[in-house]
Amino acid sequence: MRRLHSLRPVEVDERGLALVSFCGHCGIRPHQATAPRASRVCGHCGLGLVLQAGADLAPRHDDPFLIIDTSLSVCAVSAAAEALFGIDETDAVNKHIADFLVPADANAPSAENLLTLLVDVAGGGGEICTAVVRPRQEFGVRFWARIGPCGSPRAALLVLS
Amino acid sequence: MAFASAPVSPHDVHMRTLKTSEAAALLNVSPNTLRAWERRFGYPKPQRSAGQHRQYTHGEVAALRDALGQGLSISSAVSRAREALSTDTHTLVGALAGFELDRADSAMESALALRSVERAVEEVLLPSLEELGERVGTDSAPWAFAARWADGWLRRAQRLAPPPVRRHAILVGDATPNELDPDALAVRALELFCGRSGVRVMALPVAGVSGLADVVAALSPDAVVIAGSHLPADDVALWAYRVRATAGPLPMTLFRGSRQSAPVRTTGTRTLSRTPFAAHRQVLALIDDRQRPPVRDVAPPAGPEAGRERREAQA
Repeated sequence: MRRLHSLRPVEVDERGLALVSFCGHCGIRPHQATAPRASRVCGHCGLGLVLQAGADLAPRHDDPFLIIDTSLSVCAVSAAAEALFGIDETDAVNKHIADFLVPADANAPSAENLLTLLVDVAGGGGEICTAVVRPRQEFGVRFWARIGPCGSPRAALLVLS
Repeated sequence: MAFASAPVSPHDVHMRTLKTSEAAALLNVSPNTLRAWERRFGYPKPQRSAGQHRQYTHGEVAALRDALGQGLSISSAVSRAREALSTDTHTLVGALAGFELDRADSAMESALALRSVERAVEEVLLPSLEELGERVGTDSAPWAFAARWADGWLRRAQRLAPPPVRRHAILVGDATPNELDPDALAVRALELFCGRSGVRVMALPVAGVSGLADVVAALSPDAVVIAGSHLPADDVALWAYRVRATAGPLPMTLFRGSRQSAPVRTTGTRTLSRTPFAAHRQVLALIDDRQRPPVRDVAPPAGPEAGRERREAQA
């Protein structure tokens, strides 16, 4: 007999795109069948909240990522990003994103582009896009970043790759 | 229920505490996760019961639960919960700066709803007064107003503390000039905490030594705390000498005496932590150590000399 509990509804956003859940700290995607739905806390590491983002944006395992709100304050730093930047999430939260990442795209007309993009995305607008960034005070290191909306509550997810 | 205006004991102000399993259930996480948060974020910060079990304040856990529902990470939720709890401090500073006694009483009442008396004093009352002192200066009229209010609040709380249940007593030598001295509030807080621990506490001014022997003989203290740094070291040493002459070799401790340039000339004095709660724990530990019977060396002494002594003792 087919086991009906293996059929799970796919959550979609307002544009009909599939959403996936992931932990805001370890990045692991909770197993729908085993994860307790009432709790937003990651059942794997216990140090992050379960968030949702588009399937093409959500971080894969060990992808470093940051979550930024409309005031451009850092709201979450993944464990991989902590290791990459050498910071603790507890120290980074509520600081400006420009304290950690700055644009590194030579073709971009100004540094304001990245910040404007993040504000747009965190505010509910904007599509998933890419940008080139580098850690502040470091030169010669550049990352491709996928930037798009995540939630809830609504915020901008910046995944480095 | 106004703590200052009505004769309500601080014990009657119900401060709900939760066991680890209860707090974890309220947050919908496992107890291990809760302990991991305590290590990583320092929040929620539990108190310890007599059996060293964690006891979480309901207000802290509820604030975190609300923040988790709106947060993007545990860190940001903890930050938001802390901010929500710190509003009591801002309210008290604002009330005292605006000379509003009722609002100051209400701020402490709100603080007591979320915390124990000890934590309300250490996390709200004393930091608020410290902030106000830095803002207006401790020689100003607004400071005098605030310090008198705080002194009155602490004394009321002390009067409403439960009667002593332990046989122990502490003698506090008050070396502060008056209630307007910034250290005086910490001394009042130390007296309050010791009293709430069930110990008899008597505070006497260090400046007066006449008739001290009678008081010491009647109180029979188990420890002495010399608190404050206003008086010269010679006066403090004389007072300590008189106490020891009457009561014998007592544990002698110094509280908030760090500003004194010359050390107090009494033997075996210990300096307590600057925070009243930690200091009161240290004094109680000193008393407990003193009451404990000395540990005897059970290992047999080695060598022919020791063997001869043992045989003589057995004979």
